[in-house]
Order: sequence, then structure tokens, then C-alpha cells
Amino acid sequence: MLGAIIIASDQSRQVQGDRFIASPGSELASWAAVEVMGKASITRLADALWEVCDLVSVIATLRDRRNGAQSESSLPDLADECFASYKRKGCDAVLIARCGAYFELDIATMLAFHQERGLEATRAFVDDGPLDVWIVDPSVVSGYSWVCSPSACARSAVYRSQAYANRLQSARDFRRLVLDGFHSRCHLRPEGAEIKPGIWVCEGALIERSARIVAPAFIGRNVQISDECLITRGSNVESDSHIHFGTAVENSSILPNTYVGIGLDLAHSIVDGRNLINLQHNVSLQITDPVVLRESAARGRGRKLRTDIESGMAMSSAE
Amino acid sequence: MNMGGKQDLDRRVKTRKGVFKMLTSGPIVVMQVPEVLKVGEVHDFMQELGPLLESNRPRIVLDLSQVRSMESAGVEMLLHCLEEVLKRDGDLKLAALSPEAEVILELMRVSRVFETFLTCEEAIRSFHAIPAEAVPQNTPWYANVFNELGVVKQAS
Repeated sequence: MLGAIIIASDQSRQVQGDRFIASPGSELASWAAVEVMGKASITRLADALWEVCDLVSVIATLRDRRNGAQSESSLPDLADECFASYKRKGCDAVLIARCGAYFELDIATMLAFHQERGLEATRAFVDDGPLDVWIVDPSVVSGYSWVCSPSACARSAVYRSQAYANRLQSARDFRRLVLDGFHSRCHLRPEGAEIKPGIWVCEGALIERSARIVAPAFIGRNVQISDECLITRGSNVESDSHIHFGTAVENSSILPNTYVGIGLDLAHSIVDGRNLINLQHNVSLQITDPVVLRESAARGRGRKLRTDIESGMAMSSAE
Repeated sequence: MNMGGKQDLDRRVKTRKGVFKMLTSGPIVVMQVPEVLKVGEVHDFMQELGPLLESNRPRIVLDLSQVRSMESAGVEMLLHCLEEVLKRDGDLKLAALSPEAEVILELMRVSRVFETFLTCEEAIRSFHAIPAEAVPQNTPWYANVFNELGVVKQAS
């Protein structure tokens, strides 16, 4: 029996702040929790693990909505508890993924490799170095804290894989993942229906007649694209966003719950509410003018990110 | 903003909300745009810039190197200034755009409306340059005829 624990974000890894977009690259785990073409990388990983694992848990610290305080139990403690419960349920092996990167490892092959070697742990490596993914033997390993220890690396077998991996350490990595998905350089597929070659549209999206969508492009759930808009060159507009009249979105990602105002030219950027990262000029700024950019009126900030994590928690409780 | 010219006059204009750095190089005025350009700052800035716009053939360079944030009111102000100076046969040029200013102008589709320069010096020099259309590009067709006439005259 194989169990899996996904750690959505780990404060013990010097993760700073709670606004991923204000300081791109400084918060490793956050990009993995952001919706990319309809589903966050963490959720995609959990879905993939359900196919090969008997038990899957996603562990995340949810911040208090009012004061930003974290829940009492720390992530390592929660992970240790989960690990112990897997042990009690009789798991032969436990996969631990500290989710910062997007990766497409063949878990079944890695498990076979781990069982063949018979070591206490196996760590996955890709071309550019190690991933935070281990398969451990719960009869030998004490818990999640073991993989955080310096000795873990020395005592783990190295499983080398040629699989696609994107470390999602920066906004640029995030955009690369979107483009890799569009151009089939990885197995990441947009959600929704492919209404024309290279154009994916999700349920509840409203695209006005005079708006133009040029492939490849992704329009998420309940997105509104107003008249005379142009969405082009590998752009993805994520759920509950609104692109208003005459705006052109080129080679950009609009993250969930974002309103983009009238007659704008958005290129080579990632926008999340008022926050904008322009990859061409390498600048991150906050637009204070609500007629230009803002969080969409319907829902508050961070809802999607939280929903994804919560859906992961629900998965954990359903086991 | 260091222009280096002897005629340059550097002064700082104090307003309610801050200090606007102003520098003149002959008939050209260079003004530093404040770091934040919201409605309030736009009002203060326009109080200082307004009289300059109403002069004869105003030649203005706006230094955007300090700009970190600009609302649509700021962009409207820039467009208004350009409109006013063009009405009076003058010109307004933008110089030393910060990455933030560049992104905002591109986002609001006005970056191509303005002539932009990497430095204030370049912007000032551009006012002195003779426009390309004023320089004859080709030798006129009759130039050879005059040359030949000269040769005939010398021979005779």
C-alpha cells in the first residue's frame, strides 16, 4: 500500500510573506498553488497521485482571514501526524512531496526502483538537480521531519528521471509552464473544452461576439471577455476574471479574480488583482488605480488559492 | 539631472505635497515628475507646469526616472500637456523612463504617442537637432547641368 503526503507550503523552508506576486521567487511553494490553466499544480499532482496511491493527503497552513495568523499546528507536525496514521494503516511506502515545483515523475516506476533498492528512502532527481520528492519506508523512517534532516540526502537512493519538471521559482517559470502546456512540451493540459484548435474554454465563460481569441489561449471558469478584446499568444485568463472592452492580452497570465480595465495593452505580464509583473521590463508593481486593474468584485483575494488547498484537504479527509 | 551647461538653472519648487525639481537649459525646461502620480500629485504638478505650457513655443522635457506609480490621472496629465504644447507649436518629450513608468505607459497604450529618450541630455539635444526633412536628401537633377555649363564657360 502506497500513501502520499503533499506539503503545500512549508514555513520551515524560509518562505517569506504571504503575497507570492509581490516578491516573485521568494516564496517557493506559492506558484505551485496558483491556478494554471484551470487547476493549480498542487491539485494536478494530487489528482495524478490518486491514480497510483491508496491514500493521498494535502497539508497546508491556512492563514486566518482577519489577521493573517497561521493555525496552531505547524506543517511539519501535521505532516508527522499524517505519516504516523499511514504507518498505522499499514502503508509499505510513503511518498512525500514538498510541493514547490511542477513535475511529471512516473511514480509507479520510482516505487519499483525504491522497492528494488530496499533502502530507507529514495529521492527523485531530474536533469537540473534534486526534487523535493521522496519515497520512504515507514518502518524505518521516523516521520516527515526525517526528510528535512541533513542526513536524509546521504541515506537516500538517487532516482534519476528524464521527466519534465519546472521548479516554479519565479514568475518567468510560471509563464514557461503555461507555454509548455500550450505547446505540448509537458503533459499539463488545460481544463475545459477545446472549442477550436488551441483554444480552451471552461464552463461558465462568457466571450462576447466581437472579442477575438487567437490560439493558443485558455479562458477559465466564469471568465468574462468583453467586446473588442483580443486574447492571444499563449495567454491564459483564469477563473472569475473579467477582461473589459477593447483590451488586448498578449503572452500574459491573468490569475483568478482579476479585473482588467478598458482599452489596455497587457503584454508579457502576469496579473493578480492589482499586482502586475512585467517580464519584459523585469518589474513588479502594484496598480493603485481601480479602473485599470483590481480584484474582481464578486470574490475576495486568495479565494481560488484557498479553494484549491481546501479541495486538497477534502481529498485528504475523504480517504 | 546634470546638464553641465553654464546657462542651466536648477531650482526646486516647493509645493504642499513635495518638491518638484526643475531645470532650464536655454529655452528648454526639464521637470522631474514626482515618484507617485495620483490625482493630488497631478494637481500640484500641473500648478507648476501650467504656466510653462502657456508660454510661446514651450519646449519641455519631463524626467520620469523617479516615477514608481502612476494612475490614469497621471497619464491623462501627460496627454493634456502634450496637446497644449503642440497647440503652441512647442514639443514635450519624455526622458529617463523608469521601468514602472514604461510599463504603465505601455499598458495604457500611450507609449508611442510620446517621443522618449534614455536621458534628459538626449532629450534636450533633440530639440537642437535639425529635423531630417529639412536636410536635402539627394543632389537635385539640375546640379550636373550647372557643372557642365561651368566646364563649357571655362573652356570658352
